[in-house]
Amino acid sequence: MIRYLIKNNFKLMFRNTWSIVVMLLGPILVIAVLSSAFTELMKSYEGVDEFSVGYRLQEAADGHMIESAKAAGEEAGILFYEYPEGDIQDVMEKNELAGFVEFSEDGYVVYKSGDYEVEGITLEYFMHRAMQEGVNAVLRMEEQDVTLPVTELEFMPAVDSVDYYGIIYIVYFCWCCSICATGVLGNEKKYGIVRRFQVSNISETQNYLSKFIPLTLVVSVAMAVTTGITILLFDIHWGNPILSAFLVFMMIMAGNALSLMLYNISDNLVITVIMLFMVVWFMGFFGGSFETYMFSSWPDLLKQLSPIYHGNRALVELSCMGKSDYVAGSLLYSLAVTVICSVIAIMAGSIRKRGRA
Amino acid sequence: MGGIVLKTTDLTKKYNNKAVVDNLNIEIKQGEIFGLLGPNGAGKSTTMNMICSIVRPTAGEIELLGKNPWKQKKEVIHKVGYIPQELAVHGNLKAWENVELFTSLYGIKGEQLKKAVNESLEYVGLLERKQEFAKNFSGGMKRRLNIACAIGHHPELLIFDEPTVGIDPQSRNFILDKIKESNKRGATVIYTSHYMEEVEAICTRIAIMDNGKVIACGTSEELKRLVNGDDEHITLEEVFLTLTGKKLRDYTE
Repeated sequence: MIRYLIKNNFKLMFRNTWSIVVMLLGPILVIAVLSSAFTELMKSYEGVDEFSVGYRLQEAADGHMIESAKAAGEEAGILFYEYPEGDIQDVMEKNELAGFVEFSEDGYVVYKSGDYEVEGITLEYFMHRAMQEGVNAVLRMEEQDVTLPVTELEFMPAVDSVDYYGIIYIVYFCWCCSICATGVLGNEKKYGIVRRFQVSNISETQNYLSKFIPLTLVVSVAMAVTTGITILLFDIHWGNPILSAFLVFMMIMAGNALSLMLYNISDNLVITVIMLFMVVWFMGFFGGSFETYMFSSWPDLLKQLSPIYHGNRALVELSCMGKSDYVAGSLLYSLAVTVICSVIAIMAGSIRKRGRA
Repeated sequence: MGGIVLKTTDLTKKYNNKAVVDNLNIEIKQGEIFGLLGPNGAGKSTTMNMICSIVRPTAGEIELLGKNPWKQKKEVIHKVGYIPQELAVHGNLKAWENVELFTSLYGIKGEQLKKAVNESLEYVGLLERKQEFAKNFSGGMKRRLNIACAIGHHPELLIFDEPTVGIDPQSRNFILDKIKESNKRGATVIYTSHYMEEVEAICTRIAIMDNGKVIACGTSEELKRLVNGDDEHITLEEVFLTLTGKKLRDYTE
């Protein structure tokens, strides 16, 4: 039974011309506008020159690691100078330092200056990578005298604004492209088709899957076409095509599950669309869809809460670095959203059916 | 006439403590075409919806083909064909795709489904238009397609909720003929309409509902006698207006 439902819902979604057009043209237009508008901003990120930062060692800090970090910093254009005394803020202002790192036994603290925003982010990222490499080196070598593999230390390459927004807006539209289902859902309610389903043996799970599966297929095809067009038009570089496609596919599933859950809870198409766009907007707001996540000053916790942040970061890093620590997180996050939203959607549908009855 | 197809006992549905259907007791035998008449808001559609397990009753019992449709839905619902008042078809699907979609809900698949689709479309005179989109159909064609979507699984009980609203006389005549033909093939029919002449022409028994209750039930002749004694020179509409009154019913769902 479900095979025919899926097949016909798939046809209905594909024949909903307007939503397909919006899905195809929306990302292309947004990418064209934003990538050109933010070219200068992204260039400022590209063009970070050599800069100075201060550091201070607390008594139990690991001196070997710090020496290695200093050497790696020089390679990356970050010059470390020791300032053992004085108020950190005063020292930074007096010596025009772009940042300051305080090393302790447990780790390190990065101080950033508002006047050197880009350098501060660069320093933060460098420290994160340097410490990670250092810890890995310790684990590998099992000895105290650790030298950071300076030449292999991958500093984050600058991402081009076209690549950034080309990727980010495909992700953004993946989360809200379930508008393809509005035709089917609207017709079912408007013309009393829901009643036909009620006078049959179709279960709520079958009903849910008969929409979720074709919606995922339609959106995946549409997004693949859009991505292909944007690659041709704007020369957008995606990293690892198979992994990137899989990440995008997982986010499409999550977005669809989210929207079907909202619909089953609200039972109102207008409310669903408004709620979906609001949720996705907030996720995008904290996740780097408008302000690039590199320059974003939002607390890390807020960023981490946004599934879009994980997806954006994984895909952008795959594009410019060839690998990303955010891939697994993004996949797990998408999977969790898909499963949880699907379960809630089915439960809400069943409860609504009983309530209506 | 055979056994009992539908029996309701003290069937009640209340919304906000107001009874829309109030202790309804009806019994429909196999092979009947049972007409359900009533002004707007009389409770006809709610009764249909309770029988079809769309709306849960507040109280009372329903026995549909020997089963309780609320407790044994899976065992009985595939024996029911429900033709809703709305044109419950997808405009962006072709005629055959609509019939395939709704017939498949009853577990019919493969070659059997293809055969059922063609039979249903032929039955309503739309086989030659099967490749056309439903949105391009006229009102009468959509009504016929609406019926085709509900008969592919050969139900024992057909429930028609005002199936001739807003269509031309030819289409209406066609649909009424098909209802009689379905009945001759063995299906029991429950039929609601505001058109008295239709009900009189096809129904073997008629119940008139008002304020959630059956106020009269019998054959057309029995109803006329009830109102006008032995003088049968009275129309069913006059019977209806005598029993339900001439006051306007401004009803909102």
